[in-house]
Amino acid sequence: MDKFKYLTPEWAAEVLRRLQSELTQDKMKHLTSSMLTVYQDCPDGKTRGVYYQMEDGVVTELTVREGELPEAEFVISGDYETFARISRAELGSRSALMGGKLRLKGNMVKALSLAAIVDRLNKVMSTVPTEF
Amino acid sequence: MPRQFVPDCYAIDFAKRIRDVQDEMARCNIDVYLGSRLRTLSWTLDAFLPWRSYVVIPSSGLPTAFTFVIDAARVADESWLDGDHVLGFAPMGGQDQITLLSECLAAGLKNGRGVVGIESGMSNYLPEGNLTHYEYERLEDALPDARFVNAHDIVDRLSLIKDEGTINRFRKAGCIVDAGHRAVRTAISDGGYRGMTETEIAGLAAYAMRRAGSEWEWSFTGGNEIATGYRTGLSGGACTPATRRKCRSGESLMVDLHAMFLLGLGDHAHNYLLGRVTKRQRWHAQNFVDLVKLCLKAYRPGTSPSKLADEMMIFCEERGFAEYMVPGFEHGIGMMGDEWRIGMNDGPFPYWTNPDHIYRTGEMLICAMQYACAEENIGFRYENAILITAGGCEIMSRFPLSVDEV
Repeated sequence: MDKFKYLTPEWAAEVLRRLQSELTQDKMKHLTSSMLTVYQDCPDGKTRGVYYQMEDGVVTELTVREGELPEAEFVISGDYETFARISRAELGSRSALMGGKLRLKGNMVKALSLAAIVDRLNKVMSTVPTEF
Repeated sequence: MPRQFVPDCYAIDFAKRIRDVQDEMARCNIDVYLGSRLRTLSWTLDAFLPWRSYVVIPSSGLPTAFTFVIDAARVADESWLDGDHVLGFAPMGGQDQITLLSECLAAGLKNGRGVVGIESGMSNYLPEGNLTHYEYERLEDALPDARFVNAHDIVDRLSLIKDEGTINRFRKAGCIVDAGHRAVRTAISDGGYRGMTETEIAGLAAYAMRRAGSEWEWSFTGGNEIATGYRTGLSGGACTPATRRKCRSGESLMVDLHAMFLLGLGDHAHNYLLGRVTKRQRWHAQNFVDLVKLCLKAYRPGTSPSKLADEMMIFCEERGFAEYMVPGFEHGIGMMGDEWRIGMNDGPFPYWTNPDHIYRTGEMLICAMQYACAEENIGFRYENAILITAGGCEIMSRFPLSVDEV
């Protein structure tokens, strides 16, 4: 199977396709929210963002952004390598947050209730054949 | 949106309290206020915050509270603020208390410049909650262009005169304490005290008060303080967490109960002589009751702790029991966490009660006295929340004053 290059539009499209097909609205708890993951120190030195829009439990948008990044209810930022390890399922997102490798901006109380959903997103994401 | 202000007899206009703080901040050129003391949290948020917590008050608009994330949803549920203004902190990247606080404080400054009001000082009350040295240093690091000033006087001044909602909460807490005392008296009467331990008495009182609506036996001095025998007479011993000691005939029993109702605090101590009572014990008991009556008559606007203590100690000397008295007849009280100093921090010893503080109508305090005769293993305590009124004082607990013989 061909691999998708990490953080390219093709990779994002494949992740979105899998999320939409594998995560039901119930599994997503009919969540309406937005999330931005900010990848610092990408291999080319740039900072990139992946923006997720969720409407009633459906991931309606997943796009890779550069330059001025959009606002979101939750912003998670960290090094490219940290996110890459999470995407390869080598590192749990929770332990990355607890260890200070990732930074969360947003209402922590709400974020707690979304932690399981983010885990499901990450799990699906880790199934995408990816070239880092 | 924060909760609507619903007027009932226990309602407090917290939005107005915040506006009053903001007016004082403007007067003192403070851009943003960081409250960390338990008394400030109760007074501004209307919720009990047992974990390390903070409130950030901007120059205008709603405050934001920060507490340990495991308790934030509960605090938001009980506070007048909504979930967007009660945030949780946790040991996670971007969510630790210093990061969250510094970001919130920075939003109240202009490009990081301006004045941050903090709460610093000392207290003999353990859970006071002043900003710690470590917190102060980290916030200074995070906001290098801000100036930090000690500003706790703002809340101290505004919270000194109690509003009607606060007073009614104390009245209710006083009624609840009375329910606890009734339960104790019933349980120990007719020989019921025999074999009963101090902890048992504390527990049965707590059960009765909880049934009457108390949220907590709030005192950090061990909840309901119960003492029997020699423990009632420990010199100056105004702190007696209950032990497993059993009640015995011929001894005294001191029952100091604490109830909490919507952060209003009930505090009343009642005393007993158990079984066989000697003439000498009755003499001690009569001294104590007469002193309490005299003291309650003396509380009025215009008097001060030192003036009142002088008057009382003259009476004690005349009656021949001055050596058994702690020469202090009060401690401060307010919503949960405001439990020690009376008035402002303006006395000869910083952060202790100013002995020359002049009481004003609308202030509340605990009328408190400790009678302790160590050599005879006997003692009594009086505590009751009182409101200074135009003509004297109103007592919150109505349990009849006496040293009951059971």
